[in-house]
Amino acid sequence: MQNRPTGFGNPWLQLVLSVACVLVSEFLLKRGATEVANTDSAWSWTGVNGLASPLVWWAILLIIASFISWLYVLRYIPITIAFPLSRVVDILVPLGCWIFLGELISPLRWCGIALVVVGLALVAKPIAQIEERL
Amino acid sequence: MTLLAFFFIVVSLVTFVAAQLILKRAMEATKTTGFRNAPFVWRATCGVVLMTISFFLTLGLLQRFDLSYLYPFQGLSVIFITLMAAILLKEKLNARLAIGALLISIGIVLVSLS
Repeated sequence: MQNRPTGFGNPWLQLVLSVACVLVSEFLLKRGATEVANTDSAWSWTGVNGLASPLVWWAILLIIASFISWLYVLRYIPITIAFPLSRVVDILVPLGCWIFLGELISPLRWCGIALVVVGLALVAKPIAQIEERL
Repeated sequence: MTLLAFFFIVVSLVTFVAAQLILKRAMEATKTTGFRNAPFVWRATCGVVLMTISFFLTLGLLQRFDLSYLYPFQGLSVIFITLMAAILLKEKLNARLAIGALLISIGIVLVSLS
């Protein structure tokens, strides 16, 4: 991590931005999908009708932005450090669903989410190492 | 949740993991041979197509389920990667991975029952 850029190019800042983009894109996708939802049509399983929502297009832009900043992050921070840190999104998404999307999350679902988050935290580092070799 | 919904969840995750691994291989190939060669173009195209399939299937699922319900299923990707490592790399499952995978599996079962 020598000659690490500062300011906007700071890889840690880019990691935060990448996570923020993923987080916001998830909420925009959900809002966009709900906006155009047509569950009576079997065709809607393909999700293509989602493109009718501008929110989905904003989400696509954010996904691309997060991908670019993630690639940048990986130039400076080892994946075995960056990947586990990026999984903070697993905690922030359910919290955001509750706070911003107003989803009613039952105690059973909270328990399930908590187990998944703990499990992911446990395996994040070994999984990143495996992905490097696959 | 219907069997059809579970099928689409699994397909969207498998295509996502496969796309990630194929794109990684494509980028690795550019280190030695650059971007203008058939293996890179072929792998990158496959990766982008699989990523697109995963994206649209997720969009279809989000029309039907809460995000807080669907999101934890992403934990399944860890199980797929662990299985692939066991098959392709002949890697033995260590205790940390096994416990993590078990917790994720129980968590997903609880979420799917909620």
